[in-house]
Amino acid sequence: MNRFRNLIDALAAAPGDRPFVTAWIDEDEQETVTFAEFRRRARSQAKMLSEYEVNTGDRVIILMPQQIAAMTTFVGAMMLGAVPAFLAYPNFKVEASKYRAGLAGVTANLKAKMVVIDDAFPEDMLGHVHLCEEAKLIRAGDSKSVGAEVELHDLEVRPESLAFIQHSAGTTGLQKGVALTHAAVLNQLEHLAHALKIDGEKDSVYSWLPLYHDMGLIACFILPMVCHMRVVMQSPLDWVMHPETMLQIISEYKCTLAWLPNFAFQFVPRRTPPNRWAQYDLSSARALINCSEPVRSSSMQEFENAFSAIGLKSGTLHSSYAMAENVFAVTQSDINAPSGPNRVWADGQRFRSMHVIAPVAQGTPGAVCFTSSGRLLPNNEARIASDSGILLAPGFVGEILVKSDSLFTDYYNRPDLTAKAIVEGWYSTGDLGFTLEDQLYVIGRKKDLLIVGGENIYPQDIEEIVASHPAIHDGRAVAMGVYNSDLGTEDIVVVAEVEREELLTNTVDIEREIRNLVVGGIGVAVRTIFLKPPKWVVKSTAGKAARSGTREKLLKEHPELDVRGSGD
Amino acid sequence: MIEHIVRLIRKPGANIDENTPLVSSGLIDSMALVDLLLKLEDLTLRRIPAGKVQPKDMNTVALMFATAQRVGKARK
Repeated sequence: MNRFRNLIDALAAAPGDRPFVTAWIDEDEQETVTFAEFRRRARSQAKMLSEYEVNTGDRVIILMPQQIAAMTTFVGAMMLGAVPAFLAYPNFKVEASKYRAGLAGVTANLKAKMVVIDDAFPEDMLGHVHLCEEAKLIRAGDSKSVGAEVELHDLEVRPESLAFIQHSAGTTGLQKGVALTHAAVLNQLEHLAHALKIDGEKDSVYSWLPLYHDMGLIACFILPMVCHMRVVMQSPLDWVMHPETMLQIISEYKCTLAWLPNFAFQFVPRRTPPNRWAQYDLSSARALINCSEPVRSSSMQEFENAFSAIGLKSGTLHSSYAMAENVFAVTQSDINAPSGPNRVWADGQRFRSMHVIAPVAQGTPGAVCFTSSGRLLPNNEARIASDSGILLAPGFVGEILVKSDSLFTDYYNRPDLTAKAIVEGWYSTGDLGFTLEDQLYVIGRKKDLLIVGGENIYPQDIEEIVASHPAIHDGRAVAMGVYNSDLGTEDIVVVAEVEREELLTNTVDIEREIRNLVVGGIGVAVRTIFLKPPKWVVKSTAGKAARSGTREKLLKEHPELDVRGSGD
Repeated sequence: MIEHIVRLIRKPGANIDENTPLVSSGLIDSMALVDLLLKLEDLTLRRIPAGKVQPKDMNTVALMFATAQRVGKARK
């Protein structure tokens, strides 16, 4: 990868006739723009923004559907030295009041000069778009110069200038605006392109990931832009409705790279009827990268088992540990490893009671399996720290701290949060993990951890066991901690959906079997099991169980519970 | 569709007609809307681009069918 001064220079250097973005709407409707056409449209958007006196350093919020126009507006703002940020576009599933409140919080914090919306933006959502005194709200098509060839003044955008703001994952409105410089972004992309051996001419990315999250923005938009590589994208909602379209698009466009959260590795094979698998061909894919914390070996295996017969090669599934605060990736699994990310089996008892990884042979009773997120990218460092801040040796579990040449500058306008998050150059990720033989393993969020009788229990481990019971709907179990004031520790409470309503007539047997499974699997007792009818558990946008929403619902129905613990 | 919604909200005998507000009244939660949109595709034999559907488009059964006609495309 060439070394560029800023992201705009990187785009300018792309071969004009190479396809850049293909927006896939459905089988009959797709739009592809080349790099030259993308540049032309971005300049046109820049001109429009400059007509509204957007200048260097001004924040520009983009509230547009996941289409090419949103991307050209984003780059157009950067061409002026302004600082764009994508926010989530309202969709049919959002609760209007929550969306408005979230938007109000985020836009107020950014003190934006301009909020750009599309023509179809719902009027009833506009009431709470916070506009500071100078700010303007405009429709994306409001330019006199749209369609015309536009010349812009040559603007020197320095590497240390802010390039854009991306929002950390989290509930809308509570998200933190992560401010990133051109240099930080380019450093990250250089390391990532090197680790993945990206060839802009031969590689292409498939994406359904939203542009307002780091996976969608960095891996599936800015990385292709800087590496001069094609990206074929569809809207996240269209994918959730029809997950099979992922197979269709990769097959048709021969995509080589994709980034996915862990659940997608189960969601696609489960929601695509097996009799249609043979229509597709995944042989073009060379890296499908799981970016979740934690990476689940069972999910990856399910995807591989389903699709190895349609060309998915061994060693195509990979892992990465990524976060908005580091622009994107901290680690990446070895792209040349013939069988994908490393795995390690550890003594379950020692892991839970002492937070120590004592490797054992695969298949040892009571062993816990961890999948590596890979090795650190160049110029990235990780430390593992105990609760009291003591640095831990390899094989000990603690909070992951990160330092790199792509770390964020600050949380925009939030010096209080920045000071808490970065101490002496090290960013506290809030994730628990360990290192072993130069690999980083991520276990889960520190705030999700349940501490039961001095043992460290991860809710997802219990949920996986509960969901393996044939009476329980797969993926519809949530484990949480309930403080037991008599014992001074947390008890484990599980809420799970049964497959069919009639199963609720015999809950005693099911509950007993679940308890036995959990005790047998990880050696802890569940205090209370709430079996619920189908569709009871609160689901996230993508259809997986939402831990915090389910907890709230359970509390409402059972106010006697003092449920404490974690969010999603 | 109304039968499907009654099953979905788990209130047998609930009095829902094609103009009953579903989302704004809290009768169905937003997460159930993906289910409803898929059901709507089945009933209308149309493919509905989810990105073109707004919350208000799904608030009543009548609006849902109007939305399917407006933004949906006949399935092949």
